[in-house]
Amino acid sequence: MTMAAADVVDVSLRVNGTTRSVHGIPARTNLADLLREHLGLTGTHLGCEHGVCGACTVQLDGQPVRSCIQLAAACDGAEVVTVEGLEGPAVDALRESFSAEHGLQCGFCTPGMLVSCHDIVTRCSDLDEDTAREELAGNLCRCTGYAGIVRAVMRARERLAGTTDVVASSGGGSS
Amino acid sequence: MKPGRFAYCLAGSVDEALALLAEHGDEAKVLAGGQSLVPLLNMRLAQPQVLVDISKVEALTTTSVDQGLVRYGAATVHRRFEDGDVDDATGGLLRAAAGGIGYRAIRNRGTVGGSLAHADASAEWPVVMAASNASVQVRSASAQRAISARQFVTGFFSNALDDDELITEVCVPQLPADTTWGLHKFVRKLGEFSESLGVAILRWDGDVVSAADIWLGAARDVPVRATPLEERLVGTAQPIDVAEAEAALAGVLPAGGDAEARYRRHLHAVTLSRAVTDAITRRTA
Repeated sequence: MTMAAADVVDVSLRVNGTTRSVHGIPARTNLADLLREHLGLTGTHLGCEHGVCGACTVQLDGQPVRSCIQLAAACDGAEVVTVEGLEGPAVDALRESFSAEHGLQCGFCTPGMLVSCHDIVTRCSDLDEDTAREELAGNLCRCTGYAGIVRAVMRARERLAGTTDVVASSGGGSS
Repeated sequence: MKPGRFAYCLAGSVDEALALLAEHGDEAKVLAGGQSLVPLLNMRLAQPQVLVDISKVEALTTTSVDQGLVRYGAATVHRRFEDGDVDDATGGLLRAAAGGIGYRAIRNRGTVGGSLAHADASAEWPVVMAASNASVQVRSASAQRAISARQFVTGFFSNALDDDELITEVCVPQLPADTTWGLHKFVRKLGEFSESLGVAILRWDGDVVSAADIWLGAARDVPVRATPLEERLVGTAQPIDVAEAEAALAGVLPAGGDAEARYRRHLHAVTLSRAVTDAITRRTA
């Protein structure tokens, strides 16, 4: 890794299990724009672009992060999972429950919601509705009033409670 | 909402980062987790020429316990405090405070040193570290020094660092066994910066308080020490109700003002009263 400051950077990272390299992108490129504009992964949505709305949330090295305030240059060597690459029982449960409980309407917030909800249902032991609401505070939805999303999280959690090894289902995130 | 142009460099070590800061001076900004800096870049409130990324410098993410201090690497992310991955020098205050910072996705990237350097008096770390009497260890290419967390924030988004200095560690004294803490944060929406933040650390001698550190965030450009409340608590275990806290704050915050100013003072009295009660309750529980 060079120490010299550079206006353009090369970034090589794993995205949804595949190694991707981009060369000569502006240093100011954020991870969301790298995904959307250089890698064609437009499932990740950009809302506020200053870390507040949560629409752009992706997994970076297994943890949810805001891709709009994450520089692509700082992701060299990282493992990224977007909504396109989420897989495993937790996400299967969330997809079913978001549909069944009306967890979305326009769908703009849904990619970030799914990444955050995946973290919530796999990380939070003793998840109750209040905790789900607190954990969802960082993802804005302007359609549903959140009631459907909270029900979807609780429904997915219940479904997963009957299965084993929930945490191991983290959809390609590095561990 | 895209940053202006800048050059990026990844520091491989503290020495490399310091050399870059020495070279670029006030044209450079340090990038740790970027959870405060990148929003400022996106809004172009900050337009540095060079970003020095220290997030992968391993020496800045280690924690050690040393002679009654816990030394947290400056690039330790909030999540590690929240999840108890690092020793909590305060027996729970740091963990509780970290859990209130932004959202989980923010806490996964944001760092303790970065938050201090950002120097927002409504954020958790500047206020909690002041109350904890922490010291901020900083280095430049030619020198190193320690700055008390109580003097570190010098004004709105201003800190005591020189342009070529980097925070390397935040050292928090381990609280003695006969000490309790209290924390109360007021926000309208979970995860936002505080509208008021009260922190109380009480040292006990039997059933009464022998020393108190009471600090208030989001009231001024810097964290505010609520000295009248500290003096009031010593020698008693009596909670401070909101009216009494508000009266005591007259010596700390400007008096008078419009309805907004009066509302803010009342709010600060509420958070301080609740933080003190929280600390007292931990003793008696």
